[in-house]
Amino acid sequence: MSNDRARLLDPHFVSKLARLDLRARLVVEGFLTGLHRSPYHGFSVEFAEHRQYMPGDPLRHLDWKVLAKSDRKYLKQYQEETNLRAHLLVDTSASMGYGSRGVTKLDYARQLAASLAYLILGQHDAVGLFAFAQGRGEQIPARSTMGHMRPLLGLLERMKASGGTDFTASLHALAERITRRGLVMILSDLLDEPEKVAQAIHHFRHRRHEVLVFHILDPQEVAFDFNREAVYVDVEGGARVTTRPRELRDDYRARLTEWRDRLRAICIEKRADYVALTTDVPYDRALLEYLGKRSRLL
Amino acid sequence: MPLLSFLNPSFLWALPVTAIPVLLHLLSRRKLPEVPFPTTNFLRILEPREIRRIRLREILLLILRTLALLLLVLAFARPAVTPANAVTNAAAAVGLLLDESESMAAIEEHGRPRITEAKGRARSLIEASRAGDAIAIAYASRGDEPVAERGDDRVRLRRALERVEATPQPARMAAALGSLRRTLERSPLSTRELYVVSDFQRGNWSGEARLEVTRAAAAGTRVYLVPVTAANLPNHAFEAIDPDVRPGPEGRGMELRARLVNHADAPSDRIAIRLREGDALVGGGDVSLRAGERRWAAMPIEPKAIRTAASDTASAATRITAEMDVDALPTDDEWYAVLGTPRRLRVLRIVEARGSAPPRFAALALDPSSNGASGFSVEDESPAALLTLNKARADVVLLEDVAALSGDAEARLRAFLRDGGGLVVALGPHSDPDYYSKRLFPGMIDLALQQPERAPEGGALELRARVAGHAILEGLTVGVGTPLSQARLTGLVRGAVTSPRAEVIVQTSGGLPVVVAAPRVAIFLSSLSDDWGELPFSGAFVPLVRGLVGHAARAASGAPAEAVVGMPPRARLTGAPSGVIRVRGPGDYSSTAIVEAEGTGYRAVALDAAPSPGFYEFDAERRALATVAVNLDPIESDLTVLPVDSIRSAAAPAALSRIAILSSASALERHLRATRRGEELWLPLLLAAALLLAGELLLASARKLRA
Repeated sequence: MSNDRARLLDPHFVSKLARLDLRARLVVEGFLTGLHRSPYHGFSVEFAEHRQYMPGDPLRHLDWKVLAKSDRKYLKQYQEETNLRAHLLVDTSASMGYGSRGVTKLDYARQLAASLAYLILGQHDAVGLFAFAQGRGEQIPARSTMGHMRPLLGLLERMKASGGTDFTASLHALAERITRRGLVMILSDLLDEPEKVAQAIHHFRHRRHEVLVFHILDPQEVAFDFNREAVYVDVEGGARVTTRPRELRDDYRARLTEWRDRLRAICIEKRADYVALTTDVPYDRALLEYLGKRSRLL
Repeated sequence: MPLLSFLNPSFLWALPVTAIPVLLHLLSRRKLPEVPFPTTNFLRILEPREIRRIRLREILLLILRTLALLLLVLAFARPAVTPANAVTNAAAAVGLLLDESESMAAIEEHGRPRITEAKGRARSLIEASRAGDAIAIAYASRGDEPVAERGDDRVRLRRALERVEATPQPARMAAALGSLRRTLERSPLSTRELYVVSDFQRGNWSGEARLEVTRAAAAGTRVYLVPVTAANLPNHAFEAIDPDVRPGPEGRGMELRARLVNHADAPSDRIAIRLREGDALVGGGDVSLRAGERRWAAMPIEPKAIRTAASDTASAATRITAEMDVDALPTDDEWYAVLGTPRRLRVLRIVEARGSAPPRFAALALDPSSNGASGFSVEDESPAALLTLNKARADVVLLEDVAALSGDAEARLRAFLRDGGGLVVALGPHSDPDYYSKRLFPGMIDLALQQPERAPEGGALELRARVAGHAILEGLTVGVGTPLSQARLTGLVRGAVTSPRAEVIVQTSGGLPVVVAAPRVAIFLSSLSDDWGELPFSGAFVPLVRGLVGHAARAASGAPAEAVVGMPPRARLTGAPSGVIRVRGPGDYSSTAIVEAEGTGYRAVALDAAPSPGFYEFDAERRALATVAVNLDPIESDLTVLPVDSIRSAAAPAALSRIAILSSASALERHLRATRRGEELWLPLLLAAALLLAGELLLASARKLRA
């Protein structure tokens, strides 16, 4: 069982499944299977139904009145009801199309977005989706019905990695467009100047949004594990760098770590949550981060 | 100038491998691949100085890798440097004579047989051969066969060597050397080398073998004598067994006589001899031998084990296997014999009546109790009795102080000898030396007689054995040069042998022959009476007379000469056989035999040589004809080693410089290094390659650290 669960959360395994909705369901169900004793299991204020007490159930949900009246043990179950509005912002710039191990960063982001949406809708929260890239963008406003999943998946499937990223333009525009306060989740490789990223986050924070940044990179981008001397071509700007990886690997890693630390520091400064991911990290890591954030918000 | 050669040149085919690093380097520089990558902004652009440094280091690494590979390939090819003053720099015709005769089975003190050491030396020689060398291997025991192995395929030659074991055959050193020498001389290669790997056993190195060595050296071949041992291993052995079983002392029981030899500088005490017929122990005894002693020893044998005359068919022949304590050479501690029918030797003693009855010293020595219990029966007759002489009447004729024989008697005597009879002639004061020398002896024995010679007044002639271990002396415990008796001998007929066919067995201290022997004939040149001294009264008289008659009788009985391994088995037949004669022997030996006339009978000779000792049976149309025993050549028993330098020093001065002695394994190794293999370089090359690889690793890791 634990093996099956691990497979459902493995990006490489999930990417082989054809349908995105199926993938999202599998990921979330696989994730929830591991959380059966989790405090995130939905209990809210609005009563829904009774269920017979089973040994091991928490006593705090026992209906003492029914017990007093009928000497039978029943648990009260509640319909969760929140007013959380989540906004998934997926970066579709050209750099997101990079994948060294079969899964591109955009694939990973789409799958993660779909899984988050499925999870969010399953908890009766509202979720909206925004695709952002330089000079263009598509959006689906937030809704909380399960039927809203279909347009979300439709947009996710249409996403193509192309063009450059301009956080100042795209994210600022989105910050203006999302009026109602909510949770903004940015799924991006953040390949822009950290100061611009900071400004964009600041803009969301200024609009009283909670921000959760999923910083998605390819493992090769982190490790820079090439061996051969080659011409490395920037996928967005087209810049060409001829170099010897073995000579510069340590230098590259140091620079990249410094950049990620800088982004993390910016997020802390702006009171946003920062989650560093690579496309080989199982999805439960991101889903847990989301649930942690949600629990703090509610 | 030193020459470089390779002992495993086939590895040089791997040299192109060394080009792999260069090829990879060139290919990697041809066109750089383009790799799309999002985070190029974190890549630092190398400065030209850094690029130059990296390129320099890469070239250095390339050189290190290429050199390391090159050195590895060269190390596997086993290069060797031959010094400028090497004896042989060109391809050579190499002859290898490997002694695998019986003596090479001797166990050395370190517990291994000599042949193992010899094969090791031969293997070194073959492995040191160079490409183009023509190698020929001959084996000492197969001297009469063509050279066994020839070619330049070292693997095949090495395998052939591995199969070699010590054979039961004697060495035919001269023939093998001659065959190899001629093979080398036929070679078109100008450089010729002959290696003789042997134990240089004294008995195998006759004058002819030494001459072959000298001939080879004189013809320009470099001869290397490679002795595998310098130790004279003590060894005792059988040399013969008398097939005629004799009555024991004083006519009681039976005894068998075996000739034993002790090839050692120390005495061998109480050597246990066991006589077996099949698995049954039928006799034996303990024998002690002095250092270097060779003598006949009589030992009791169970009379029931001996077939009687009535049952003495070929199939029922008594087969005796004699064994002794095992020593350095186990193969000669066993001897096979087919015993003859016990019989009494009939001696016709011819004496001339000269007034009084002649003394009967010799007759009493042969048959003291006149009943034949001693194994001899003696009939005294005048020379006229010779006119009716035939084999049915006597086995041996003893002419004792007979002046001369009539023509008819002489003719009858010659016919008797042709029929297989034996003759003992004892001269004396009445015998006519001229008659014997010019009339009777020609055709019988090559002995010329002069006038009798008397010892000086008051003096005496002293008798000494000239050869050791002769059958005539079998009853006497004497060594070469030791006095035969203390008895005073005052006269003898002066004589001289005129050919090697006659052998002087006993002589005076002044070198005058006293006992001379030839097949079927024994001559005593003094008197068996008391005319010329006191010999009949000495302890040596009885065994000497019996020895003389026994020698003539043994020859007369037609007992086959000792058959040895390596020679075709042969058997004397009493009648003409019908049908094909087959010979079967130990193992799967099987051969056919041809029949030759011999005297009044026939002799069957197998077509194939006997490969191993044992009993060989002759039969025709499933009828057993004869059984003969084949034994190892006693010459191989003497493990005394010849001083090898004596072979070299006997060579002519011109050839002397071309004969060298490689007396130890290390000397051989030094020689091969200096002349053929050279100084091997694989170890330094391997070390250098390891150093280069270590340097490459160090440089590569240092590069990463700096980067």
